[in-house]
Amino acid sequence: MYPVSILKPLKGVEEGLRENLQSFFDLDYPCYEIIFSIQHWTDPARALIEEMIQQNPQTAARLLICEIDLGPNPKVNNLILSYKKAKYDLLLISDSNVRVNRDYLKRQVAHLDTSVGMVTSVVAGQNAAGIGGNLEGVYLNTFYARWMELTATFGHACVVGKSMLFRRSTSERFGGIRILARYLAEDYMAGEAVRRLGLRIIIATDPIRQYIGDYAFSTFWSRHLRWGRIRKSQAPLIFFAEPFFGAVLSGMLGCFGFAYYFGVSPFYAFALHMSVWFLCDTLVAMELEPNPSSLFPLIWVVREFLALPLWFHTAIGKTVQWRGRSLTLKPGGLLEDS
Amino acid sequence: MLADFHIHSTFSDGKHSIPELIDAYGTRGFGCISITDHLCETETVIGRFATYLGRSLTPATFPLYLEILKSEARRAWIEYGMVVIPGVELTKNSVLNHRSAHIIALGIEGLLCADGDAVDICRSIRRHGGLAIAAHPVSTRKTEKQTYELWGRREELAPEFDAWEVASGPYLFDEVLESGLPMIASSDLHSLKQMTSWKTVLSCERHPEAVLNAIRKQKVKFQFYRDEVGNDGLDHRIDSSALGISHGSHSLRHFIIPETLKVGTAAS
Repeated sequence: MYPVSILKPLKGVEEGLRENLQSFFDLDYPCYEIIFSIQHWTDPARALIEEMIQQNPQTAARLLICEIDLGPNPKVNNLILSYKKAKYDLLLISDSNVRVNRDYLKRQVAHLDTSVGMVTSVVAGQNAAGIGGNLEGVYLNTFYARWMELTATFGHACVVGKSMLFRRSTSERFGGIRILARYLAEDYMAGEAVRRLGLRIIIATDPIRQYIGDYAFSTFWSRHLRWGRIRKSQAPLIFFAEPFFGAVLSGMLGCFGFAYYFGVSPFYAFALHMSVWFLCDTLVAMELEPNPSSLFPLIWVVREFLALPLWFHTAIGKTVQWRGRSLTLKPGGLLEDS
Repeated sequence: MLADFHIHSTFSDGKHSIPELIDAYGTRGFGCISITDHLCETETVIGRFATYLGRSLTPATFPLYLEILKSEARRAWIEYGMVVIPGVELTKNSVLNHRSAHIIALGIEGLLCADGDAVDICRSIRRHGGLAIAAHPVSTRKTEKQTYELWGRREELAPEFDAWEVASGPYLFDEVLESGLPMIASSDLHSLKQMTSWKTVLSCERHPEAVLNAIRKQKVKFQFYRDEVGNDGLDHRIDSSALGISHGSHSLRHFIIPETLKVGTAAS
């Protein structure tokens, strides 16, 4: 087994953080280290990390404070030092809000061969609470998972920043992660860079679990506004086709088509379309979250009907708010401070 | 050394990644190549559309492009002793061939802009320390988009360019050959199937600056390269009639005519 350096950028203490981090201390893997990084020594996560490092002496772990500012992407800025200081060539960048099984690292590393540049994972949204959290969970476990599998099927797998396993010797071939600091979606660009090197991106068979927790509707909305605007700036053609891949618009177009050509009641056609779509999405969601909330059908309907207004809101702007910074997106995902 | 200065990768409309191209040329014994992906105009509909389709470098992808070129240039030197010069093909496409122009910038380190007049573009390339080369300025004799603007303005633009492509594939451009303009021969390679083409042969030090100077000073010769697996890759079946250079001795000096001629085998 190759030794692995796990890089964990953190900012603040979110719900479930201790349990998320503990799952990495408990990994069943023969040789790995964890490098936590925060951007300022006053970050509230510092005390928790120091305490957990002390409580888990069996795992090589350290905390770095990285105040380097290479560009507008705060996550990359936070990672620069740990990327440099990592002991091993094999790196795993892992977000603070994911929780993994004990065999996670073994199973990720097993995907590597000389033709593979990066291994990423589908995200399973779990432990959702509140309106925003539930919407997020449904989004991750239906629309997002579906898109990830679809893009991978067509040989264009998207990289998810929550879990990126790659060799430093590979990333150095495209200039290292420092070059990603100018982009908002550093994960997407890392994937693009790997692909340009002629290497494959693999989606691991096991999803990683994202602990969603309780958050407000406004948090959900602003988060998806940011994601949508990233997609718009990086892949505008796909973004503009996106509403047609949602249940509502495709259903409306379909039911009018059926009514026009076959005289079928638009209402029944739409109801049938939504039912079939819901069934398919439920099957996908059950793979990722075997015990979905009883509110799942309701939340699913709300999310599907919200998708279109959210898309319109996304389409009319190019500014995003992220970790307290207001940033303007330029074509290709480049960022500048607003 | 054998050289090719017009190659496209997956950063624009090429089929192969930069590492694949490095290995392909390195294993074939080339001494110098330049990867020159398209950088399209941003102010025209065609240019924007090409960008949306991912068939052009952009300000977002250019830094990655340069970094990968740099690291692959190091690898190419270590593994094959091959020089890799960074380049771009500044692409101005119009629905009219006479208003379309492609300009290759060789040896550049920063992002250039394909908007504006050809004169400004060439001067900008030279300010960046690069070479300006007129790409396929006349008919390529292939069914593809043609770019005639530069040739139509050749008298005005002659001082702005360091060289004009006399071939961008398997066909020689008679008009360029006869013009007395400084020349270069390349493949305009998008797929390795296009490897069989005219190439430039240089006799200079294997160093980017020495290569650029050799082009500036026109210490170049041209050779038809036939890509055949299992031999040395060099075609030895070229004669002056195949080259189409019966026009004057000033052109003939540019061509490598091997001793083992088989008269009548046309390169084109």
